[in-house]
Amino acid sequence: MTGTRGPGHGIVPGRPAGHGAPRVLAQACWPEPGDGPPPPLPGFVHSAFAPLVAAAAGRCLERRPSPAPAGSRCAVVLVSAAGDRPSALHVRSTVAAGGRVGPLFFFQSVPNSVAGQVAARWGLTGPVVCLSPTGDPRADATAEGELLLYDGDADEALLVLIDEAPDATPTGAVAVLLGGGDSQ
Amino acid sequence: MVERAPVTISGTYAVSAFGRGVDALLAGVLSGVPAFRPVGRFATTGRRVTVAATRPDVATLPQELADAVDAACVTAGLDPAQRAGAALLLATHGGPATLAGPYTDDRPVADTDDPWWADGERDDAGPAWPELPTLAVRLARRCGLGGPTRVYTTACVSASSAVADAAAMIHRGDTDRVVVAAGYLVEPDQFALFDAGRALAADGAVRPFSVGRQGLLLGDGVAAVVLESAAALRARGGSPVATLVGWGRAGDAHHPCQPDPQGAGLARAVGAALGRAGLPAGAVGYVNANATGTGFSDASEAAALRLALGEQAGQVPVSSTKALHGHALEASGLLELVVTVAALGHGKLPVNAGWLGPDPACPLDVVTAAPRPVTSRYALSLNAAFGGANTALLVGAP
Repeated sequence: MTGTRGPGHGIVPGRPAGHGAPRVLAQACWPEPGDGPPPPLPGFVHSAFAPLVAAAAGRCLERRPSPAPAGSRCAVVLVSAAGDRPSALHVRSTVAAGGRVGPLFFFQSVPNSVAGQVAARWGLTGPVVCLSPTGDPRADATAEGELLLYDGDADEALLVLIDEAPDATPTGAVAVLLGGGDSQ
Repeated sequence: MVERAPVTISGTYAVSAFGRGVDALLAGVLSGVPAFRPVGRFATTGRRVTVAATRPDVATLPQELADAVDAACVTAGLDPAQRAGAALLLATHGGPATLAGPYTDDRPVADTDDPWWADGERDDAGPAWPELPTLAVRLARRCGLGGPTRVYTTACVSASSAVADAAAMIHRGDTDRVVVAAGYLVEPDQFALFDAGRALAADGAVRPFSVGRQGLLLGDGVAAVVLESAAALRARGGSPVATLVGWGRAGDAHHPCQPDPQGAGLARAVGAALGRAGLPAGAVGYVNANATGTGFSDASEAAALRLALGEQAGQVPVSSTKALHGHALEASGLLELVVTVAALGHGKLPVNAGWLGPDPACPLDVVTAAPRPVTSRYALSLNAAFGGANTALLVGAP
């Protein structure tokens, strides 16, 4: 996982002990053994970033042990070092050369877009939050998910973390579904 | 469950096309004269739109962020020890490095020094722009903020999400003090993307909620806000400039890029903010709207306000100051929070520029002709983004 520093660096200190500790309801990766590239995602081009997010998220949600309670609000927390870097670099080089970028690059120019695709596909009506991790990515994502559950704007949180190769190519995604934390 | 504690806003600062400082921003939005001008800092050849609300003379984005944090902390009256305990939540664009600034007379100038944010690293273009997490750590160190850092890259609700999270952290008892900083300086890549997406107003004007609106225009925005627990502020003898009485975040679950036409997600965010504050819809005396001047988006927001406020929605003064200072993308939520706090404090509500006439799809009481007097202690600042992300911040006069 890129951007990793010391574990726990991104955890907000001072949280009252035992408060709001969530349970992992399901988790998944893409790729897992036997996987090839993620399925193409209609409306998203050029990069594996969005397909990886959608594939890992969908697999995780399919693994949840029981259906979400009616009216449950699940947040989407997407953690990546720099969003869809291959697409952004394509835009950078095209603009620098005086060219015009395709309109689809506008629609996928922020990580919110695929987070919203996942939310729409699975009916997740909680907050959408995208972070660039300042510490261990999973710790950052978990801290954000815990905060949203504690604060009461979400009942569950789907965390999605992107792996990148050293050349910034997205290579995989991890998805974790959190639930069961206390809320106010 | 920890005891809930009020969250105060003790310091604000902003840089926009209207100038440096809150007073310049307030004067600009009360003037009703938009700050859009031809872009000079990069070529707009071949673009449908060639204007934005740029400030001609700005430093690099990291330096502007550092100056904004310092100014907000000075306004709040924080001493070095109090800064050292504060967290930093940073909201800015999450793409690869975009070296925005410095600009003089809206023309790029070389930064030949060894700036603190590059930490001695250079590339072919000059000082090397750090990855966002590294920038956040260096910014915190530069400004003497010793608490945890978090970086929000959640598009146009980045800053407002950070403010909501800051309030939640304070409520939960994680920390007494959080500095939220946000910045966007108009640069060629996002400009090209918004132009390609036909999101920019081809007529060079932003007309929120108005008939004939054609889209948004980008604008510079760098801002910082200090949030503190009321007890911590009281203990150090400080005074609030406002109170954050409520906040809410919710998703549409509708589409990757388009808002829910019914406005259900934004309405739930408003409902959550009112619920946290324990206030009825009728208490809201002003809405600083997200409205970007985009056809379906503004109509969706109007629908959300009808859902959330009921019949009150048609009687609450509403304006979107994006018509004046432009859309500052990831920083927009903080810039507009600063506007809302300043308007409440000054007693005048800013106008919604670009008005051509009412749109039946937006049945709201839009502030059009001139600033109106404040008649209530409470105001909402709303933001929405791609991904169906919505936030509502409910501000109370001190």
